[in-house]
Amino acid sequence: MRAFSLLATLAASATAALAATVQYDFSVDWVQANPDGDYDRTFIGINGEWPPPPIKCKIHDRVIVNVTNNLGNEPTALHFHGIFMNGTNAMDGPVGVTQCPVPPGSNIIYNFTVDQPGMYWYHSHFGGQYPDGLRAPFIVYDDDEPFAGQYDEDTYLTVSDYYHQSIPWLTANKFLTLINPTGAEPIPDAALFNDSQNIKFKVEPNKTYKIRIVNMGALVSQYIWFEDHDFKIVEVDGIYVEPTDASMIYITVAQRYTILLTTKNSTDKNYPMIASFDTDMMDTIPEDLVWNVTGWLTYDDNGDFPEPTLIDQYDFYDDFNLVPFEKEEPYEPDYSITVEVAMKNLGNGVNYAFFNDITYVAPKVPTLYTVMSSGNDSTDATIYGSNTHTYVLGYQEVVEIVLNNFDPGKHPFHLHGHTFQVIERSGASPDDATTLMYDPANPGTVNEYPMRRDTVYVRPNGYFVLRFKSDNPGVWFFHCHIEWHLAQGLALTLVEAPAEIQSNQAIPEDHYAACKAGGYAYEGNAAGNTVNLFDLKGEKLQPKPLPAGFTARGIVAMVFSCISAFVGMGCITWYGLSDLKTTEREVAEIIGEPLDDSDESK
Amino acid sequence: MAQNSGNSYFDVSVFFILFRETLEVSIIISVLLTFLKQGIGGSSQDAWLYHRLVRQVWIGSGLGFTICLILGCACIAAWYKFGKDIWGATEDIWECVFCTLASVLISIMGLAMLRLNKMRAKWHVKLAKSFAHSDSNSIRSLSSRYAMGLLPLVTVLRESIEAIVFIGGVSLSAPPSSIPLSVLVGVLCGAGVGYFIYKGGNRVKIQVFLTISTCFLYLVAAGLISRATWYFENYQWSQLVGGNVAETGSGPGSYDIRKSLWHVNCCNPLTDDWWMIFQGLLGWQNSATYGSVISYNFYWLGVIIAVCLLAFRESYGHLPFVKLKDIERDTDLRYPLIGVHTDNMGDKSSSSSTEEEIEIVAESSSSCGVSRHARS
Repeated sequence: MRAFSLLATLAASATAALAATVQYDFSVDWVQANPDGDYDRTFIGINGEWPPPPIKCKIHDRVIVNVTNNLGNEPTALHFHGIFMNGTNAMDGPVGVTQCPVPPGSNIIYNFTVDQPGMYWYHSHFGGQYPDGLRAPFIVYDDDEPFAGQYDEDTYLTVSDYYHQSIPWLTANKFLTLINPTGAEPIPDAALFNDSQNIKFKVEPNKTYKIRIVNMGALVSQYIWFEDHDFKIVEVDGIYVEPTDASMIYITVAQRYTILLTTKNSTDKNYPMIASFDTDMMDTIPEDLVWNVTGWLTYDDNGDFPEPTLIDQYDFYDDFNLVPFEKEEPYEPDYSITVEVAMKNLGNGVNYAFFNDITYVAPKVPTLYTVMSSGNDSTDATIYGSNTHTYVLGYQEVVEIVLNNFDPGKHPFHLHGHTFQVIERSGASPDDATTLMYDPANPGTVNEYPMRRDTVYVRPNGYFVLRFKSDNPGVWFFHCHIEWHLAQGLALTLVEAPAEIQSNQAIPEDHYAACKAGGYAYEGNAAGNTVNLFDLKGEKLQPKPLPAGFTARGIVAMVFSCISAFVGMGCITWYGLSDLKTTEREVAEIIGEPLDDSDESK
Repeated sequence: MAQNSGNSYFDVSVFFILFRETLEVSIIISVLLTFLKQGIGGSSQDAWLYHRLVRQVWIGSGLGFTICLILGCACIAAWYKFGKDIWGATEDIWECVFCTLASVLISIMGLAMLRLNKMRAKWHVKLAKSFAHSDSNSIRSLSSRYAMGLLPLVTVLRESIEAIVFIGGVSLSAPPSSIPLSVLVGVLCGAGVGYFIYKGGNRVKIQVFLTISTCFLYLVAAGLISRATWYFENYQWSQLVGGNVAETGSGPGSYDIRKSLWHVNCCNPLTDDWWMIFQGLLGWQNSATYGSVISYNFYWLGVIIAVCLLAFRESYGHLPFVKLKDIERDTDLRYPLIGVHTDNMGDKSSSSSTEEEIEIVAESSSSCGVSRHARS
């Protein structure tokens, strides 16, 4: 017994000793670049370069990212998408949820361990900032992956949409304004492969390449295929899956797919690889938009680079049918959250996005800091605010999220801090007027071993059902990953096991320092009230709704108009029926016409 | 765009559009004809003048109708061929202009009709003068002579263009086979009601009828001014938003919240049938702006002031605050059928004394070969 425990201790410390610490110093600043060759613009880069450098580490490593904001005119914050941050919720990064914005001139240190393999990415989580350039891959290597040894090279490929204008300008002038009442998202200007176009992806014959693919875009999902090459899907969002043959994938923003692609055994041709926008997601398609981006699997540098072949339809693999390598049967839920997604206009004429009639508005105090400063009241969702749409979850429960989409658009939803089982996902509804809703009494297709990932899309007017275990105490954001919709408030907050957060976690001083430097509150409830946590006066709320029908001033206007009309008609009647006045009578007398108005025989 | 509301041989929306437009046209024509009948009367006096003016009315209407038929067919053909609405982007501005024009014309003509019954002689003078001066070809005299034709012409033009534009818009969702019958029935019903008003006017106390119909006309004119303002503001809004306004129908986003006075998501006169009639009569908007309501009220204010000034002048022979020696009897040749000077036009023209007027009447009567009662 003693020998066993000694052995276990030795093994643990050996693993710990093998785990390295990877440190990055990021100076976030503005960089000029021109990725589509059409337009030179400033991007948010890191250490003077754009695209920003990828973060690479091995599983179980500790990652320390020291971020200094040298933008001068915008705050920032970094989120490491898909990393669980178990025990270190403060490092997750979304502003208003786990931290304050980091003002220009300040810095923040993200310090966490990574105990999950696969492909991830990191990006800004302040406002809609990341499409301005602050996003890059985050790769976690794992020597023990199930398909280790089955490939020759481990590489990555990014796809993205791309805007020529800056996001703050687009948001203020084109998107979140009353002159955009339908909430039409700005249309991207181009598609990018690896932040460029027409890339030559060098390959050698008869080799297998492990290609980790991530969509770092703001809006559009993309179809990706390699002409004449099929591949196997081996991992999605950090979850290994049974290798599955496919020829095309459909990847939404924020999702990752890792594929094994085996090259042909001759070098006589180069083959186009294509990423193509899902144009359903765009409100209009401008005539001059090229919504595909091309590269080539380059066998022969000196050969031809043929144009891609046009295809009639997209024949992609539906990720719902992937089978995780570590199989789990569907959980039985302990606690269920049902939300309806809808878009509508509020009183300022702007189109917002809603979960159940609440559109997310960030609180004055980041929700995690409210947890930390609320003692025994942390389990009462009221203190987190009326517009943060907070649910308090117990520890080690199975939580179910049922999402019914009343919007005729596709939305990729992401849950921080977890992967989830995708229990059901419906097809699209046949028309805009009806929405398919989840009915537990009449369940749809449920796979024996449900697929798991951290970002999944719902179909137009359809639904999905997700389940996960609340085994990661922390404040976790659940939101649509289309940046425009997040700006419209399509988000909710999960406060998972707040008592455990309080007892086992702490907020580093430099995080509080960033709050102080920016003048942001960091203690108390959503309104910043540290004395009475249930007094939410002064909290940030959503705009008032549109007036329903006649308001007071409308009624006044209507009544006044009616009065004017009646007085006017009264005057006319009086004039019309009045006796003749002097001069007219004179004329009539002179001319000799009778004035009698009982004349009828005309 | 209105829903296809009926079977494939009859479309209710098209019917309502035509009914309303024809009703407005026939009301105006019937009032004009009644007015002429009363003013210039039976065939024993000035029958030539009477028939000439009646002809003007019909020719004006017919001309307007023909122009619109041609324009409309061209429009609809272009519509189907090019798939685009050629009125499209500036439709609101056209509507604004037509509504304003119609409102102004109705307003000017309206008050005159109230003195119709008693001012027959005066109108003889006016009309005779205008024909005595028929040599000059100035616009003033032309328009004065053809005013009887001008009003129906412009009205018919406006109503028909509106109808065509609406039908063009509606017909996308209506099967083409439903249009002819709906148009026919709508026109017949509208004309029928107008005719009834014309005929019925002879059996009631004329003055009461005239007063009521003038009230009605002014309601329509007030509504038109309100609509003109509304169309202009709608144009401004759709310029701001771009193409998306059409998508939002009657809902949020179809109007500028900053200028809105009231908005209900139903009862849209552009798409809902009975509300269309309601708008035609009273200027109803489901989404009213400050501009549309204020213009409506200011119009009535203007009418009230005009009526009061007219009444004052009838009582005292001059406008308020005008010195006695500047009084002139006005005979504004531009509006020969108007016995009183309309103050909002603001100018006076040459007058003649009573004796002169009688001489002129005698001359024109004899030149037209019509005998005349001698004056006592």
